Amino acid sequence: MDIIVCIKRVAQTAEADVKIDSSGKDIVKDRLTFDMNESDTYALEEAILLKEKFGGTLTAVSLGTVQAEDTLRIALAKGADSAIRIKAEDFEGLDGYKTAQLLKAAIKDLKFDVVFTGCIATDDYYSQVGVTLAELLGVPHATLVTKIDIQDTKAQVHRELEGGLIEHLDMTLPALFTIQTGINEPRYASLIAIRRAAKKEIKVIGASEIEPTGIQANASLEELFTPPAGKRAEILSGSMDEISAKVAGIIKEKGLI
Amino acid sequence: MNFDLTNDQKMLQDQVKKFADSVLAPVAPDIDKSGEFPWDNIKKMAELGLLGIIIPEEYGGAGFDYISLAIAIEEISRACASTGVIVAVNNSLAGYPIMQFGNEEQKKKYLPLLCKGEKLGAFGLTEPNAGSDVAAMETTARLDGDHYILNGTKRFITNAGEAGIYMVFAYTNKELKHKGMSTFIVERDTPGFSLGKHEDLMGIRATANCELIFEDVKIPRENLLGKEGEGFKMCMNTLDVSRIDIGAQAVGIAQSALDESIKYSKERKTFGQPICNFQMVQSMLAEMATEIQAARMLVYYAGHCKNKGMTRFSKEAAMAKYYASSISVDVARKAVQIHGGYGYTKDYPIERIYRDAKILELYEGTNEIQKIIIARELTR
Amino acid sequence: MNEIFALVEHRQGIIRDITYELLSCGRKLAEKGNTKLTAVILGHNTDNFVQILKGQAHRLLVVDNEVYEDFNSEVYQTALTEIIKRQNPVLTLISHSAFGVDLCPALAAQLGMPFTTDCLDVELAEQKLKVTRQIYDGKLNAKVLLRENAGYMITLRSGCFPAGESSLDGVVEKIDTPVSAQPDYRKFIEYIEAAVGEVDITKSDVLVSVGRGVKEKAYLSIIEDFAETIGGVVGCSRPVVDAGWLPKDRQIGSSGKTVKPKLYIALGISGAFQHIIGMKGADTIIAVNKDPNAPIFSEADYGIVDDLFKVVPVLKTKILEMKQAKG
Ligand SMILES: Cc1cc2nc3c(=O)[nH]c(=O)nc-3n(C[C@H](O)[C@H](O)[C@H](O)COP(=O)(O)OP(=O)(O)OC[C@H]3O[C@@H](n4cnc5c(N)ncnc54)[C@H](O)[C@@H]3O)c2cc1C
Ligand SMILES: Cc1cc2nc3c(=O)[nH]c(=O)nc-3n(C[C@H](O)[C@H](O)[C@H](O)COP(=O)(O)OP(=O)(O)OC[C@H]3O[C@@H](n4cnc5c(N)ncnc54)[C@H](O)[C@@H]3O)c2cc1C
Ligand SMILES: Cc1cc2nc3c(=O)[nH]c(=O)nc-3n(C[C@H](O)[C@H](O)[C@H](O)COP(=O)(O)OP(=O)(O)OC[C@H]3O[C@@H](n4cnc5c(N)ncnc54)[C@H](O)[C@@H]3O)c2cc1C
Repeated sequence: MDIIVCIKRVAQTAEADVKIDSSGKDIVKDRLTFDMNESDTYALEEAILLKEKFGGTLTAVSLGTVQAEDTLRIALAKGADSAIRIKAEDFEGLDGYKTAQLLKAAIKDLKFDVVFTGCIATDDYYSQVGVTLAELLGVPHATLVTKIDIQDTKAQVHRELEGGLIEHLDMTLPALFTIQTGINEPRYASLIAIRRAAKKEIKVIGASEIEPTGIQANASLEELFTPPAGKRAEILSGSMDEISAKVAGIIKEKGLI
Repeated sequence: MNFDLTNDQKMLQDQVKKFADSVLAPVAPDIDKSGEFPWDNIKKMAELGLLGIIIPEEYGGAGFDYISLAIAIEEISRACASTGVIVAVNNSLAGYPIMQFGNEEQKKKYLPLLCKGEKLGAFGLTEPNAGSDVAAMETTARLDGDHYILNGTKRFITNAGEAGIYMVFAYTNKELKHKGMSTFIVERDTPGFSLGKHEDLMGIRATANCELIFEDVKIPRENLLGKEGEGFKMCMNTLDVSRIDIGAQAVGIAQSALDESIKYSKERKTFGQPICNFQMVQSMLAEMATEIQAARMLVYYAGHCKNKGMTRFSKEAAMAKYYASSISVDVARKAVQIHGGYGYTKDYPIERIYRDAKILELYEGTNEIQKIIIARELTR
Repeated sequence: MNEIFALVEHRQGIIRDITYELLSCGRKLAEKGNTKLTAVILGHNTDNFVQILKGQAHRLLVVDNEVYEDFNSEVYQTALTEIIKRQNPVLTLISHSAFGVDLCPALAAQLGMPFTTDCLDVELAEQKLKVTRQIYDGKLNAKVLLRENAGYMITLRSGCFPAGESSLDGVVEKIDTPVSAQPDYRKFIEYIEAAVGEVDITKSDVLVSVGRGVKEKAYLSIIEDFAETIGGVVGCSRPVVDAGWLPKDRQIGSSGKTVKPKLYIALGISGAFQHIIGMKGADTIIAVNKDPNAPIFSEADYGIVDDLFKVVPVLKTKILEMKQAKG
């Protein structure tokens, strides 16, 4: 089984201050930490599990700056056989569509039975790269996948719908799946695997290797801004004792206890 | 000169950090309370290769260098100081001497066990009446046919309660003093070998620290490490390596103290503002961060000396251990200070970190001994 | 300006709420652009849908066939490609749901149409389309301009376009189905209902909900203990379930349960919209989070900016005192 997994390196912002930079079109990144996008860690693990079960090859692909190579190398250490970085610095005005076009250009000549992506990138939040890529590659897809059972070229797939309802599909490979978090338990790379991965070459492709040139993005950024305050919680202040007394008061007042 | 980590060191740091944060850190407060040895986590670390970081692959290890060893031990200790020293002892006080001084049979027999965590290693040097003064040791080993007969007591031995393979130092010829000391590989289930008192420690409480009691223990001759009389030399060489670990452990513990302090100083408000706005608090944070970075550099440098194959780097190792452990205790003390009264309660991790830090100045040669080593090298 | 399309989303014979939000957004845009809104219904036994939606759009385009009974993006994509090519709407609105994210990017890409996803706000003027999206864990908004084109497609986030009253009298237009069978490479088989757990969080008046901020499973006992004190049960955000700390039936949010308790206490939850959707109906929301900029504070009634492990014990004591004073 030949597998491709698309991996994005993203800023970790859940617990960080996010500030707009002076250009007004990007965020201040120097104090942020970057790591593999959350659902991509699950996509990678799913790919490794498949490879362990069926053999074959596993290629990790990322569109990103040179730092994305650190993330790809972790993928190599965890179980990918080879890795490709598409030089993000060669391209401007990337959006989900252009990203998918570039990913396609990078993998179209590879053999594959399955392509995995994450279901959403936690920085840009589009949830569109996987499905767009499937369309460009001309293969069927399923999003928000929480279970895959493969036999020969058949896949039994569970998708997660709203309210925790599961949709069960029968699919035929080759296909693309966007993976939802929680589908498996991502591993840590072993030290030996890390040492082997450090020596592996990462293939880097830039604008000159990408056909067709001049892919147009669908969207361009006009401005970034802090979400309007809207409704704002009344922030309770004072000592912990005072705050707690206030909360207890609120609970009592509403007759909840 | 290059201060950047290599690719494999960066990856190692990334994965060990994540593992330590999500697997080791959560149990650190619990095992501090209960003193329970963290076997589950030790098994997980064995799978990742953390029990044989510097051991070559052919013996089941990961084949990393000594700076990598320091990086890993720092990250582990940042999350859990007990686990940090358990792993350090297995790697450097048990794995290293067998790798360095053992014969092929010994390496094949024992190193894979240590690396896989099937048997953990311990290092038995200290005795009730011989700590800093190693030569005051009373344990003896007498050759009797195919066996040595071992008698004596070892004290304060990390991992002792849970280990399977013990590096034990004893006199084979007391008259020769240092030159009459030898090293033995002793297995846990050897008749006559028992565990004594389990120490109720102030910090690193989950390290199964026990006494080893040897009463006419028959050790097969093939378990002599190297040659008779080489024990002291091996011991000193091994301690040079393990001081890289202890330095790294100190850096990790100090880093956790600093991390907690930064977090707390931004959250805690007095006089209407977060305490991190006060210059006296800032001064402490700045000192802590600078000292930690300096210590880390000394530790990496000691690792670098070993990587280069320097046969004698006692001074560099002692400097790293001495400086890193002193600042670690000091950083932890300041961290408690920054936490105010809360830092003195068990509601915050800093109380544990402070207790954990103190051991650093004591074991693997007290800091006074480190200074003696450094000065001796300077005036040699 | 050409018409605006809104794609009706239904499941198990029921029109999903987001549909009314799409229609409401579509009506507003149509009014501004001086054009009409068409509700596109792909379904089976659609009479009921038509009845319900007749007042909501100027026109109802109905394709009725068994094959649309359950959602299959491949089937929908083939059908909609045909329909959109023929009818050339200026904008097609689809929900940003498990249905929409599976469909929109592929459909739009096939049509060569600029598209974007997860929009909170839409401006359509002089054939230019601008949308507002949320990025970086909801901490920033981005205004995005789409490449100018005759037709666009976007998915809308639920909860951003309140469903409104409308009394249009939509013209119903039935067209033949372009597709009659599911393709072999993707077949819908069945729905599997989520397993029922021991606790039904939707039935409790008081919910104490924990997020990734609880840091580890061991600490859940503190939270459970607190919940018991105040007579509630424990719910959670998705990462807590992903990590295996609580069963799936405790998850609140778009892919979990929707709850409407009298009191909702959110502990260490950032407030991602997928979570908010599941709990914003609560009467009173109290949020505890270390990060003063956490989006949860835009949803909560009361906020405490502090470490949850500091807050919970003190709060528990206070509530116990209060209960004792009463009893
Ligand atoms: C105006 C503008 C400028 C931008 N400039 C830059 C820039 O200079 N550099 C830059 O890196 N990004 C830039 N971006 C962001 C970027 O291009 C987004 O990555 C892209 O829009 C995809 O959206 P998403 O990441 O939300 O994808 P989603 O569709 O949410 O991602 C789903 C999955 O697709 C895969 N995937 C997504 N992106 C990649 C990738 N890059 N490589 C491999 N797999 C991937 C992953 O598996 C991921 O889990 C810019 C965006 C805008 C709007
Ligand atoms: C938690 C813990 C774990 C340990 N783990 C191990 C282990 O795994 N294996 C092992 O073999 N040992 C271990 N030890 C023992 C440790 O290495 C010794 O305690 C240490 O070497 C000091 O020896 P001592 O306790 O006998 O102190 P002493 O040697 O009695 O020293 C007492 C004080 O006198 C000072 N001092 C002694 N001599 C001099 C001198 N010449 N000049 C100046 N000052 C001097 C010392 O610095 C110290 O301050 C452990 C100890 C502890 C507490
Ligand atoms: C298709 C899809 C469906 C989804 N469905 C759901 C769903 O149904 N329900 C759901 O919840 N999510 C859902 N998600 C995930 C959602 O996007 C968020 O990732 C998730 O809600 C974040 O959970 P969190 O707030 O617990 O974690 P984080 O976003 O990581 O936030 C943790 C918060 O805890 C705070 N914190 C940390 N430590 C402390 C402390 N000691 N004291 C106080 N505060 C602290 C931090 O400041 C931070 O704000 C879905 C995602 C997708 C893509």
